[in-house]
Amino acid sequence: MRQVSDGPVLRLDHVSKTYPGSRKPALDSVSFEVAAGEFFSILGPSGSGKTTILRTIAGFERPDRGRVLMAGVDVTQLVPNKRDVRTVFQSYALFPHLTVAENVQYPLRMQGVSRPERARRSVEALEHVAMEGYATRLPHQLSGGQRQRVALARAIVSRPPLLLLDEPLGALDLRLRQQMQHTLVSLQKELRIAFVYVTHDQSEALSMSDRVLVMRDGRIAQLGTPLDLYYKPQSEFVAEFVGNSNMLPVDFEPDRESYVATIQGTKLPEMRSNVAGQGRVAIRYGHVKLEADDGCERRAGELAGVVENVLFLGTSFEVDVRCGALRIMSSVPASHAPGFVNGQTVKVAFDLTEARLFHG
Amino acid sequence: MASLAEAASAAEVKPRKRLALHIDPVRIPVYAWLLLIVVLPNLLLIAISFLTASNGRLNFVLSFGNYARLLGSAGFWRLLEATLEFSLIASLCGALAAYPMAYFVGRIAHRNKALLTILVLVPLWISLLMRVFSWRLILGQNGVLNSFLVTSGLLEQPSAAFLYTAASVVLTFAYVSIPFVFISCLNAFEKIPAALIEASEDSGASKFQTFCFVIWPLTRRSLAIGFSLAFLVTVGDYVTPSMVGGMNGTTLGVLISSQFGMANNWPYGAALSIALILCVGVVLAVVLWLCPARGVFSGDEGGAAKARTHATPSALTTLSGALFYALAIAFLYAPLLLMVLFSLNDSTLQSFPLQGFTWRWYEALAGNGGLIAAAQRSVIVAVCVVLASTLIGTGFALTLHYRRGPGSQLIELLLALPLAMPAVVLGIVMVLGTELVGVPSGLPRTVVGQASFIMPVTMLLVLTRLRRLDPSLMEASRDLGAGRFRSFVHVIFPLIRGAVISGALLGLTLSADDVMVTLFLSGPSQTLPIWVFNQMRFGFTPSVNAVFTILGAIALTSVVLSQVVVRLRTNALSDMPGD
Repeated sequence: MRQVSDGPVLRLDHVSKTYPGSRKPALDSVSFEVAAGEFFSILGPSGSGKTTILRTIAGFERPDRGRVLMAGVDVTQLVPNKRDVRTVFQSYALFPHLTVAENVQYPLRMQGVSRPERARRSVEALEHVAMEGYATRLPHQLSGGQRQRVALARAIVSRPPLLLLDEPLGALDLRLRQQMQHTLVSLQKELRIAFVYVTHDQSEALSMSDRVLVMRDGRIAQLGTPLDLYYKPQSEFVAEFVGNSNMLPVDFEPDRESYVATIQGTKLPEMRSNVAGQGRVAIRYGHVKLEADDGCERRAGELAGVVENVLFLGTSFEVDVRCGALRIMSSVPASHAPGFVNGQTVKVAFDLTEARLFHG
Repeated sequence: MASLAEAASAAEVKPRKRLALHIDPVRIPVYAWLLLIVVLPNLLLIAISFLTASNGRLNFVLSFGNYARLLGSAGFWRLLEATLEFSLIASLCGALAAYPMAYFVGRIAHRNKALLTILVLVPLWISLLMRVFSWRLILGQNGVLNSFLVTSGLLEQPSAAFLYTAASVVLTFAYVSIPFVFISCLNAFEKIPAALIEASEDSGASKFQTFCFVIWPLTRRSLAIGFSLAFLVTVGDYVTPSMVGGMNGTTLGVLISSQFGMANNWPYGAALSIALILCVGVVLAVVLWLCPARGVFSGDEGGAAKARTHATPSALTTLSGALFYALAIAFLYAPLLLMVLFSLNDSTLQSFPLQGFTWRWYEALAGNGGLIAAAQRSVIVAVCVVLASTLIGTGFALTLHYRRGPGSQLIELLLALPLAMPAVVLGIVMVLGTELVGVPSGLPRTVVGQASFIMPVTMLLVLTRLRRLDPSLMEASRDLGAGRFRSFVHVIFPLIRGAVISGALLGLTLSADDVMVTLFLSGPSQTLPIWVFNQMRFGFTPSVNAVFTILGAIALTSVVLSQVVVRLRTNALSDMPGD
């Protein structure tokens, strides 16, 4: 970690929450810690409970069971305005009747900070997000990206130890989103504020975070560093959600003293198991190798396929290959040379060194 | 040569184009209405205020005599002060009651919000005459308040100090004000996205600070507008003061109406009207200036937080809010219920204890020829006014929406002007207008007069609906091969039908209840409210209670009907985005 800390700035201890009128719990015994100055992301599909976690930390939802601790103090029953945490809302939630400067000064005004001090610190916060020239504008006179920056300035102006961000980049276009990712990371490093960042965009979570919490149906699916999640997903769900992976059904059939995996009747000699049965294997797009069908015999572990579709993604081509009833996606590095074309027959090989196998 | 021909044809086309830009033939009816119903009558009012009258006849000599007379008249200043004071205090009381009610319904109550809203608004549909009259039942010398005080031993004998005082006018005005302020504020409270409240609390603001720095600045403009509405409605009301005001409760409105009645001095009445309008304008400008609006919702503050959950208010807040709301509702409905009760009471006295159940007041109505004739006239007037207003209002709304041209906004404002005029002034303006164009006295005059303020209501309702439609719907329909007319029939009309129908029903109750404008125009052919009003001046029978109960029931039915229509429409369309 970047900072020698006395302890976690935030701890959730077996937090559970069921919304009134709903039978399924929104959060089911969720526990984790966030260290001071850490960039901590919560990743999951919509409805997985990630926003409920955020709202529970901010104090807008009371957990049914469990505790929320900040810097070691139990704040579970504390109202939002008594908590030392700020939120960047998904919708920005800028006050429409206040200027940019007044919006940014709002938390300071609530704390009773003197007027000159407020002015000084709001200018400073606006400088952090390069919005110092807009202090006298009203929110509706700003673009979406500018509103986003003002919301960020308002959240950091009182230097909270913990900042909550609820899909803050969701409404921005791709270029702005990439710019803001850099802004956020450098701001977070500079201010040493712990970020709890909610997103459903896996690339965003992986590229920015120190650690990522993957949520599914109100439970923790996995908690780890981006590298952990990417290379050692603990479940099919995480593998599919985090890395761009094909989930391929495999059968283990007896072969000599153990069992060998087969896909569509083709044996994969490199994948063996001690038990028989079915499973699913996660193979990332980039580990599916394609080769034009030259008419020669297929090597062991290779499938025959037909190219269905090719997307050019800039740094790579994404090729959709049909192998019998299966659809397999392959990522092929881009080059000037003509790649694959629709309807072409290809040989499909798998690099199984990082493939994850899930029995079941 | 070719270029010459081109130039020639261009020269030929150009003037035609410019002409078309100036007078769009589709907008001619709009201009005609504007001229005949709004502009000319009002100009006439101004013109006539500079004439004089002797023995009820106009002298066509320009003079400032009327203005000199009213400026020098102590009576005028006293009445003006009283008029503004009554309306200001009453609107303020109404605002003090309605603002917390709107806060409760808009931000605290979770369930039955539609019902809670309707309950406050229903009195708007109940005849004003009935509401004012019901206060007489309470405040009068034989009224409920007196009989309660005497029987409970607080008073030796019934007091005359309640009715026919300034206080009774203010009380009745405040009673009338509540729904206007409520509807205006409710909208503002509901529009505040939950995320803004959360952002404020997240920034460390307490509930009180959040109210002061976020909720109040975002709702004060609507409070001011509601206050202004209440002020306008009460300041132009000359019926209430004449019914409950007595000597000390007279207002400028009463004086103005008498210039067009018994005093028969039109020029002086016109000058008084203009003085009243100017004062009202100044008051409203000050009110709106005191409550500035700043910033615009950019539409993205709502976000997901709004759909999810409200921040749950504390039990104490909810309870005290509910209690306040219930008290206010009791205040709104008690007089009305009393009236229903007395209409079934077997006694000519309007006091407790009740003497037993009877239908005889209703039976008496059936044999009353004057009443039945008046009711028939009311039906004829209402049908004519509603038909005309709905057709013209819808047509004008479509014209203004789809044929926007230079000055559209001004035209819209001018068309709605009769709604923003004190009722007593509108009444005399319509007298002048119909006199000028030569509309025969009686029912035709009443129809024109009522349409002058009912047409704008239906037009504005339809226009609001049209503006909320996705503009690309019309384009999509044209793109898919439908012409303008077929696009209207198959796409636009089904979408605005709800607004048209509820506009018609609202127009129906407005027409059936109107006293202020009709009183000036009906002459001997009295409509039902006018007949009742005259009956009450000559003396009271409990049959009046019965008439009002029936009228109230009809009004309620049409409210419920229009709500059902709107509900059905919105349910059918609820899955449309941006709707």
